[in-house]
Amino acid sequence: MNSRKTMALLLLAVIPAGFAAVWCMQRGIDGQLAEMHQEQDELVLRSGKTLRLLSLEYGAFLADVYWTRTVQYYGDRHARKVANLDTLGPLLDVTTTLDPQLLPAYRFGAIFLAEKAPQGAGRPDLAVELIQKGIRNNPDFWRFYYDLGFIYYWELKDYKKASEAFLEGSKNPKALIWMKVLAAKIAAEGRSRETSRILWREIYESTQDKLIRENALRNLKLLRAEEDCDYLDTLVGRYEKSAHRRPERIEELVSAGILPGVPVDPEGFPYVIGADGKTHVHPKSPLLGYPKGPPPPR
Amino acid sequence: MKRAGIVAWNTFREAVRDRVLYNLVFFALLMIAAALLVGQISIGIEEIVIVTLGLSAISLIGILMAVFIGVGLVSKEMEKRTLYALLAKPVRRWEFLLGKFAGLFLTLAVNTAAMAAGLAGAMWLVQGSLKAEDAAVLVAVYFILLKLAIVVSLALLFSCFTTPLLSTLFTAGLYVAGVFAPEIRAIGKVTGNAALDAVAMVFSYLLPNFDNFNVIAAAAHRRAIPGMLVAQNTLYAAVYCAIALAGATMIFSRRNLK
Repeated sequence: MNSRKTMALLLLAVIPAGFAAVWCMQRGIDGQLAEMHQEQDELVLRSGKTLRLLSLEYGAFLADVYWTRTVQYYGDRHARKVANLDTLGPLLDVTTTLDPQLLPAYRFGAIFLAEKAPQGAGRPDLAVELIQKGIRNNPDFWRFYYDLGFIYYWELKDYKKASEAFLEGSKNPKALIWMKVLAAKIAAEGRSRETSRILWREIYESTQDKLIRENALRNLKLLRAEEDCDYLDTLVGRYEKSAHRRPERIEELVSAGILPGVPVDPEGFPYVIGADGKTHVHPKSPLLGYPKGPPPPR
Repeated sequence: MKRAGIVAWNTFREAVRDRVLYNLVFFALLMIAAALLVGQISIGIEEIVIVTLGLSAISLIGILMAVFIGVGLVSKEMEKRTLYALLAKPVRRWEFLLGKFAGLFLTLAVNTAAMAAGLAGAMWLVQGSLKAEDAAVLVAVYFILLKLAIVVSLALLFSCFTTPLLSTLFTAGLYVAGVFAPEIRAIGKVTGNAALDAVAMVFSYLLPNFDNFNVIAAAAHRRAIPGMLVAQNTLYAAVYCAIALAGATMIFSRRNLK
């Protein structure tokens, strides 16, 4: 009887109370750790070759684990707007050494590396190296040449190399016809909004991933905003001719009857006139990488 | 041969009775969790990770079973004293060994087939259908089975002359060394030492080369596996098992069982 009472006491009181105490203590510990939050993103083993040996036959699975870790690392930093992405390059190198055929690691990894802060690591040079590694390991995958051409065009503004990359990719019989078109267009015109729009639209349509599509959409909207700014600059010029002075605010163009209302960018933020006299996207607009929030009152 | 078959069937029944196939439940849960979770925390690898995780789990669980059950095949019979009754039946010693090998191999084959079915289910869940190129995954599973056959034969060999603990260490050690066989072969070339190159070369060919059977990455990326490789690996596994079982028979037939 006594032993049954003891068992009942343990089961119904002591163990649940113990877990409740552990729960409370853990929340306290979590609070303490959050206050002394330290970046613990050290990559202890940076050699992909060493890890490949240590993984015995399970290199492919370890590659998936490292890729997931890379995605989580980037996502966490992106969400916290932390600019330091130093571990991103080594993580991608390890992932692609463990599994040289893991195509998403090259493609998405290059985007994460090439994009300027705070969107990415701001290292287009590393992105180029990663894609070139992908080409060496997967010579039949023509889309890598697209990715390479895109980085040269958009981030490095090296239009000659961009055109060469698109041309090289177009030689693959599986490549789509616009690779050749892009090669010719970039060789002839260098940077153009139309080409940029084609490139970003292709990225948007070729992936189902939410993060990548959002980034592509943001850049398409930015292109639209650039067009708007060019148009508004011509109107600023018109105001200058009639008023014999530069406007300091967009509202002055509205008062002069040149504009019916204050124009807004695709995120709803009003355009502003900068100190240089040119129209710019609002400094707090999400198009420039800031968190989405309500536009300022007009 | 009939006596070997009876020993084999009883070995299989004993393994099942030991609830050794309960790991299938764990495997099924793992596959379901992976299928649901991976898409939420990673990008672009849902179909790939199901296959790499599934095949890695099949391989690892199979190796653990092959080693830990295999090293006890002979020693357990000796401890329980059932070996003497068996050999007095009469069951020849080589029939006993062959039966034990076949019984554990049958257990592993059933286990592997069940896990492969679970993996196919998870792939169907993620992809929506199974395609012709998914046959590469079946070939990978077959290669895992061949690898397990070699591990079982090695475990049986060591269990004929040493304790279960040492058998485990020897078998696991040989497995790890076999995975590194290509690297061992390359040692001599890296150091430039001709004598070391020759020794490393011979040693790497004597070791069971488990790297031959590693096509997990190829299967995950749905790359076709050549039929010739399938035939060569089958022959390699059969010959290596025959060598290990022949060695086991030689040792066991001379062993004083008192």
